[in-house]
Amino acid sequence: MSTGVIAYYVLMASRDGLFTPIIVDNIDNRAYADPVPQAVILTAIVIGFSIQALMLVCVVKLARDNPTLESNEIEKNNTP
Amino acid sequence: MNIMTAPDSGIAISWIALPFFVGFVIYLLPQLNRYLALSIPLVSAVYGLQLIFNPSQLTLNLLDSFGVTLVVDQLSGYFILTNALVTAAVILYCWGSDKTAFFYTQIIILHGSVNAAFVCADFISLYVALEVIGIAAFLLIAYPRSNRSIWVGLRYMFVSNTAMLFYLVGAVLVYQANRSFAFAGLANAPKPAIALIFLGLLTKGGIFISGLWLPLTHSESETPVSAMLSGVVIKTGVYPLVRCALILDDIDPIVRMFGVGTAILGVFSAIFEKDTKRMLALSTISQLGWILAAPAVAGFYALAHGLAKSALFLMAGVLPSRKFQELQEKPINTKLWLALVIASLSMSGFPLLYGFSAKTLTIKNLLPWQTMIMNIGAVGTAVVFAKFIYLPHHNQNQQQQPANLPPNFWLALIPLLAGLILANLLYYQAYTVANITKALLTIGLGWLTYDLIIFNRVFTLPRVLEQFEHLIGMMSLMLLLLLGMVLA
Repeated sequence: MSTGVIAYYVLMASRDGLFTPIIVDNIDNRAYADPVPQAVILTAIVIGFSIQALMLVCVVKLARDNPTLESNEIEKNNTP
Repeated sequence: MNIMTAPDSGIAISWIALPFFVGFVIYLLPQLNRYLALSIPLVSAVYGLQLIFNPSQLTLNLLDSFGVTLVVDQLSGYFILTNALVTAAVILYCWGSDKTAFFYTQIIILHGSVNAAFVCADFISLYVALEVIGIAAFLLIAYPRSNRSIWVGLRYMFVSNTAMLFYLVGAVLVYQANRSFAFAGLANAPKPAIALIFLGLLTKGGIFISGLWLPLTHSESETPVSAMLSGVVIKTGVYPLVRCALILDDIDPIVRMFGVGTAILGVFSAIFEKDTKRMLALSTISQLGWILAAPAVAGFYALAHGLAKSALFLMAGVLPSRKFQELQEKPINTKLWLALVIASLSMSGFPLLYGFSAKTLTIKNLLPWQTMIMNIGAVGTAVVFAKFIYLPHHNQNQQQQPANLPPNFWLALIPLLAGLILANLLYYQAYTVANITKALLTIGLGWLTYDLIIFNRVFTLPRVLEQFEHLIGMMSLMLLLLLGMVLA
């Protein structure tokens, strides 16, 4: 799902053009890609990655007592 | 780049950056952890108070129109002050415990990111702030490292992360329409963008049925952590909603509708709850509804709720049992009972306490169709908190004090309870005969209902909807509901 959102941002950025937005002296007004969504999604990628890493650590810890990792079972054991 | 009045913006930016800096310093200098940790909320408290008493709006636009937009005004002042007082109380509460520097680092980073969320005015800085809050809150929930705490934390993180993905899609739609991420751009954005962003914020803010992840998370975390989560962290989802409702008139009715729905849903589930911490968590849901019901005075109510609720959570943590039934048989210390009564009365809106002015001001700012329902909500709140007030108590000798009272327990409660009494003066106009009679009637009615009907009832609501899989499913249903609301 996260990947889908990232792809959507890249698509949004490339709506007006595909060129890398670097100004070259003798060519003006090419169809540049919009750099802002790309910059923004970079942050989101990093955050998403760190969250996934953190969740993975927890899942590994939980897997010690619940080897099958069925969320229903874990939930039943851990709710009052 | 827009350059604002230099000293003001300098102060604002360094105030936002300070907690993060100090947070890492705490980790490097573990000996000083508590002192450094306590200094941050004090700085925030001063800053928040200055914003409340010196209402001026400061708008910072960093790095062109694409960049970070911050708005600091009186509304954020109230939220910041709440954050500062609750964090200070939580740190004092943990003062004598064996929490490591890691815990304090997380508390301060959480405090800093909550502050940042309260001044953001564009969707991407808000996204970053909310994600940092999510991670810091997760680490605090999972701090005891027991299986249960890890599961609760994982569930919280999964729900909030999924919600934030919806939010991101909404944010890019806003950008596409405006070439900027500022809140104000929501007006020109396509309607689905509003629905997606709102889904993210409603879930994050624990509102209406998308907020049903909240009771388990808040009740199963450790006492200081649940005080912090319920007192301030949850308001980071509410604040942007309020901010949007104030900027855009179209959104205002949607936010108000959710406010009313949440207030009623929360209060009715709280009435039938038999567990102290779960009841407090459910009442948090209903109080968030009160905050949303009148966006113009949201900050005022948020402060009232934050102070009282975190005090109640801290006290519920030291009660001998979590079940009301067992508490009925074990009398508690009178001093503790008095503190409980002060906080509970403030929640129910008893005159002389801050809750009364907050409720009066909110009711004054309601639209006519909301008033009747919210009054029922107010009676419900009185019923809920009658449970605490009706607990038996007795005067004990000093040596019989419950042993589990943390050493700085009273020191932690003083800023919260004093805040409840002092902040009362912020809106002294509330004290008219009509308002006082109405408040007393509401509370009396609530207590009477409790006495006659609820007191001995053994009835529990099913918790099916709080199951993990249903939480995610409910999110898609909410998205449909929201789409229906914005397109209608």
